[in-house]
Amino acid sequence: MPQPPIYLDHAATTPVRPEVLDAMLPFFSAKFGNASSTHRWGREARAATDAARERIAACLGAQPDEICLTSGGTEADNLAVLGGWRVQQGTGRPALVTTPIEHKAVLASAHQAAREGGEERLIAIDATGVVNLDSARAHIRADVAVVSVMWVNNETGVFQPIAELATLAKAAGAVFHTDAVQAFGKLAVDARTIPFDFLSVSGHKFGAPKSIGAVYVRRGTALAPLFFGGTQDRGRRPGTENVPMAVALATAMELTLAERDAECARLRALRDRLETSLLACVPELVVHGRTAARVPHILHLSVPGTDSESMLMALDLQGVAASSGSACQSGSVTPSHVLSAMGVDAALGSAAIRMSVGKLTTDDHIDRVVALFPAVVRSARAMGGRFG
Amino acid sequence: MTARVLVAMSGGVDSSVAAALLVRQGYDVVGVTMKLFEDGAELPDRPCCSLDATSDARRVAEQLGIPHYVLNMVDHFSRDVIADFVAEYARGRTPIPCVRCNTFTKFSDLVAKADGIDAQYVATGHYARAVAGALHRGADDNKDQTYFLWGINRSVVPRLLLPVGDMTKEATRALARELQLPRVADKPESQEICFVPGGDYVQVLRRALGDSAPSLSPGSIVTADGHVIGEHDGFARYTIGQRRGLPGGSADPLYVVALRPDTREVVVGPREALLGTSLTAAGVNWLVDAPPRAGDEVQVRVRHRAPLAPAIVDHIDGDTVHMSLRVPVSAITPGQSAVLYDGTRVLGGGIID
Repeated sequence: MPQPPIYLDHAATTPVRPEVLDAMLPFFSAKFGNASSTHRWGREARAATDAARERIAACLGAQPDEICLTSGGTEADNLAVLGGWRVQQGTGRPALVTTPIEHKAVLASAHQAAREGGEERLIAIDATGVVNLDSARAHIRADVAVVSVMWVNNETGVFQPIAELATLAKAAGAVFHTDAVQAFGKLAVDARTIPFDFLSVSGHKFGAPKSIGAVYVRRGTALAPLFFGGTQDRGRRPGTENVPMAVALATAMELTLAERDAECARLRALRDRLETSLLACVPELVVHGRTAARVPHILHLSVPGTDSESMLMALDLQGVAASSGSACQSGSVTPSHVLSAMGVDAALGSAAIRMSVGKLTTDDHIDRVVALFPAVVRSARAMGGRFG
Repeated sequence: MTARVLVAMSGGVDSSVAAALLVRQGYDVVGVTMKLFEDGAELPDRPCCSLDATSDARRVAEQLGIPHYVLNMVDHFSRDVIADFVAEYARGRTPIPCVRCNTFTKFSDLVAKADGIDAQYVATGHYARAVAGALHRGADDNKDQTYFLWGINRSVVPRLLLPVGDMTKEATRALARELQLPRVADKPESQEICFVPGGDYVQVLRRALGDSAPSLSPGSIVTADGHVIGEHDGFARYTIGQRRGLPGGSADPLYVVALRPDTREVVVGPREALLGTSLTAAGVNWLVDAPPRAGDEVQVRVRHRAPLAPAIVDHIDGDTVHMSLRVPVSAITPGQSAVLYDGTRVLGGGIID
């Protein structure tokens, strides 16, 4: 009987926590009401969404009216970046500043703004994976509507100087957005201490279901909606409120924050041991972003002489789930735009794989992955060869 | 431990049924779909290799409960198959990219992948049979694909599993229905070259060579005795035996009988001028211990689906084989393959010079 598989892809998604599932279930059945209705069913649903919004706000150091619920991280990023840019057009701020290492949801929103007449500017990234502040200063000028820089990069786990960047943006009169999808639950995310105007989170990264996210909108920050319809969420995001998902997001955020310090310490120990042990058995292995400050759960590495696709296939056949930076729709692996922005050479960049520890990870998992890793590397190297 | 087999799944009926049969036979089956070229917006819906075909393959693998991976082999395929395809047309020949895909991509690069994952066997949906280290024609004479398989490394043959090679196409389709694979059972046949959108190979050449390439530039259409009877706009648009694109008006229909890339001439003649009684195959690969020798009688196929023609080996010079045909054969075309058979067994093959 083969051993059970090992999930090392928590940065991709996480299982729904049982407490979260329990909390949301009543709103599918007994408490099924529409939060916009005036009757008792409506009031019951309204009470749950109002409470959820307050709880979510509290987790972000925000006011309830600053929380806009979305279908997930992608919509949150689109709403902040594109909605924040569109609403400022005609005011002499055609530019949008972001970085080449953003999630596609931000990059594609910036491209869309460019198609609508905007000017897209990218801040340079240094070799460790951190934005270059001189480059940021050069790009963030009085003609900029929105600056969007992710808090934690989803491939490398490296985090960015968000407070400095937000301050630069504010000084130039721009609004500042940060994609905090990989940051929430790992770093202190508090609207009272860091002057971001928009911030995106995604529930399934920390134990809520897929398809629930939120964008924090600082009071007084204008935003053009992406959808048109009713007045739900102050017209920022029309559509019948998704009550169970709002409850799920609030519950998952609270649970995550309550255990943040202990869980981060546990994950850091697991990740660091994985990193050290893999380096010991494959010394030529390269850890991306190793010298920068990183979140505790992500290990992004390349083994010279392999490619991501072969590594992931060999790992999967051995029962280990990892991922590369980005997968195209057909399922084939494409080279990482993040690593190329960091100046990592193409061969090494095309060998990158990401292992991310989390709730499901145990010490035994780390031991097993380390034990089978040399064989995986041999497999992957053979796969890149040519028979005969 | 059950033997592992890597099966190349295109999303079509043949490789889907092949995978299903291997699962049924108890192998440890790993499915892969090779991504061979960039299928951007300029290549909408292709019968093979497209996103749709990849999702069909994935869906079949899901149904069969086997892992499925997409392997990006774009770089090697471009170098080994597409570049040669373009170069051959540019020098007035008519290449068969499927032969090189089998030789270099499927049965070399893919075999390395199989080695990497400790798969002893490699399987495809080809209509051919591998028996005791020998390659034989498929049971369905209409579907036999050995014409495209002569170039593979001989040491791969014992590792080949070709589950539909014993079946007719109709039986394969029927089995697909029986195996609950309706999604692929009635898919149309993919006859086109996978990387040529809409069958317009000239567009591929134009993109690779540029509009002003000699092979795509105007030249004369001439008769064998030197009379210019018209103009053409690129000899790469022509192949031996072709009638389309030639001037009409002559008493007997005209056919392309030769291409002269040096002078950019397309030579035409009557149907009889297409007949040939000898041929030379270069770059020959043998799939048998004792290849034929001068004086031996063999059967040769010079075009996909052409009848087998009896021939005598005149002489062999390294990997070049000169043969005489017992009866004249029409449209022996440089760049196509000459595949030698002994009964159903493939002896080897080469590229017609």
